[in-house]
Amino acid sequence: MARYGMALDYKSCINCKACESACKEENGILLGADSHRIWVGVKEIEGVFPDLSIGSTSFEPSQCQQCDNAPCQEVCPTNATYYDDNGVVRVNPDQCILCTYCMQACPYDARYIDDRTLTVDKCNFCSDTRLMNGETTTACQATCPTKVRIFGDLDDPESEISQVLKAREHHTLKTHLGTKPKLYYLT
Amino acid sequence: MDLNKILPYNKHTVKSFFSFDFTVLNIFMFLLSIGLVTAMFYGIGVYLIHGHHAYGVTRSHAWGLLIAMYVFFVVSSTGLCIMSSLGHVFNIKEFQIIGKRAIAGAIIMILTGFAVIAFEIGHPVRMVIYNVLTPGLTSAIWWMGTLYGLYLFFIILEFFFLNNKIHKYSKIFGLAGLIVGLAAHSNLGAVFGFLVSRPVANGVFYPLYFILSAMVTGSYLLFLMYGWRYKMKFPPEVEKFMITLAQVLGLLLAILMFFEIWRALTHLYGHMPERADIMLHMITSKNFLIGEVLLGMLIPFVIIVYSKGRAIKAMVYASITGMIGIFWMRYDLVHDTQLAPMLKLKIHEYVAAPGLVEYTPTAVEWMISIGAIGVAFMWYYAADKFFDLDHSTDNNGQ
Repeated sequence: MARYGMALDYKSCINCKACESACKEENGILLGADSHRIWVGVKEIEGVFPDLSIGSTSFEPSQCQQCDNAPCQEVCPTNATYYDDNGVVRVNPDQCILCTYCMQACPYDARYIDDRTLTVDKCNFCSDTRLMNGETTTACQATCPTKVRIFGDLDDPESEISQVLKAREHHTLKTHLGTKPKLYYLT
Repeated sequence: MDLNKILPYNKHTVKSFFSFDFTVLNIFMFLLSIGLVTAMFYGIGVYLIHGHHAYGVTRSHAWGLLIAMYVFFVVSSTGLCIMSSLGHVFNIKEFQIIGKRAIAGAIIMILTGFAVIAFEIGHPVRMVIYNVLTPGLTSAIWWMGTLYGLYLFFIILEFFFLNNKIHKYSKIFGLAGLIVGLAAHSNLGAVFGFLVSRPVANGVFYPLYFILSAMVTGSYLLFLMYGWRYKMKFPPEVEKFMITLAQVLGLLLAILMFFEIWRALTHLYGHMPERADIMLHMITSKNFLIGEVLLGMLIPFVIIVYSKGRAIKAMVYASITGMIGIFWMRYDLVHDTQLAPMLKLKIHEYVAAPGLVEYTPTAVEWMISIGAIGVAFMWYYAADKFFDLDHSTDNNGQ
């Protein structure tokens, strides 16, 4: 069993949205469902043309933070949201009653209603399409042209992600809430 | 099997069931109820075709008017149960006459609440199955739903024994209903209070506030139910009860205002993001100032204080404004909890950054939510027809 996490070298992001496309293709996200499952946050460029501050714009890719202490799991009345053996927070659509309490509880706005199954879904690190087949990649990570995303086993000290997190400073989002996210932003 | 021997009820033909005095008020209420129920059924029809797309709820504002109305109805139910317990559990003499009517109202209100939530929860049948098979014991919704189910069971038994004049058991199930009802209702407050991601809702306030505001709601409903029952010509024991009720309500409203003031101050103090800014928005909104404060608290409170609780006829009318205020309290509770966008990052995706999450209920939501009030009216009419909800003069008036 592994404990999967992801490090994001977000300053290398060029906002090409290849990760969004790959994720949506892989996981069957419906057309028009913007910012569902995965998205790239964009800080708009400052200034008025032609006096634009090139350095003011920034991109921050985001998705479910795969919390070790996930509020969405804690509030689920039917345990439809659960931790799998790899520590990935997942949803069993057969048990989801669509009360949307998880959408209220998630501090990262990572939950959305899947109109195909009429249940609340989220990123599951491609567990259904890749991890269950023995692959150790995710669609977003495999497609990223600037290698923003490093995916791997946090419990394996030799894995690339463990090495990177040892070597570089990083932060997590809304750390003060105690959710213990497993998405690390490299600074 | 003669049902009448198990649960005494008044037998009716279809004609006698629908016969009532043709007064202007009765005809108005009849037409209003028909209109509201028709609207609800139309709304349900649209919902069954289009699902949640018929509602104004969004990903950022996933809970809307139906959740607010569910809270409105179950608060009303718990309120009636608590207020009736003042008589048969806590032995306050003036309240001992309200048992049957209040408990019938409590059953009707919670059933109406369940009827509303059935069209908000996406998979209500699945909910019943997996609530039992895979219970989420860390979820406030699980506890709230399960305890409310148990509460309904107890108050139905309480009504059964009250109606059969078996007061020993009605007291036992009344007490059980009260305790489980309090637990269920404070858990409903915890559904919001446990949200660590929402600083404006997170904390102890809502579980306590829900119990207090339930008692206020129960008091308003008792004024309306008794005002309607006696058409403002109250017998002496009812008048005595209503004066005591007004005085108790005055105290409850004073405590409620005290709670609200301190919530506002503690939220504003220190300018904490997603708490102070949201609170400032809340207390300067028309919903709060006109709906909650003026209609929900000040008008009834001023009448009570000015008349020392003796203006019971005025209080019946003030209870209408009070219930409108209570509606806005529930609406604001649900809406304001979701005002702050969860991920600030997304604001940067727009050139003109939206400050707060917006939500406007659709016509379908209004039809189902407000239409449900008509359902409650009809059930109350039926309960009044089938059962003798008045107090008797024997056995402590119950």
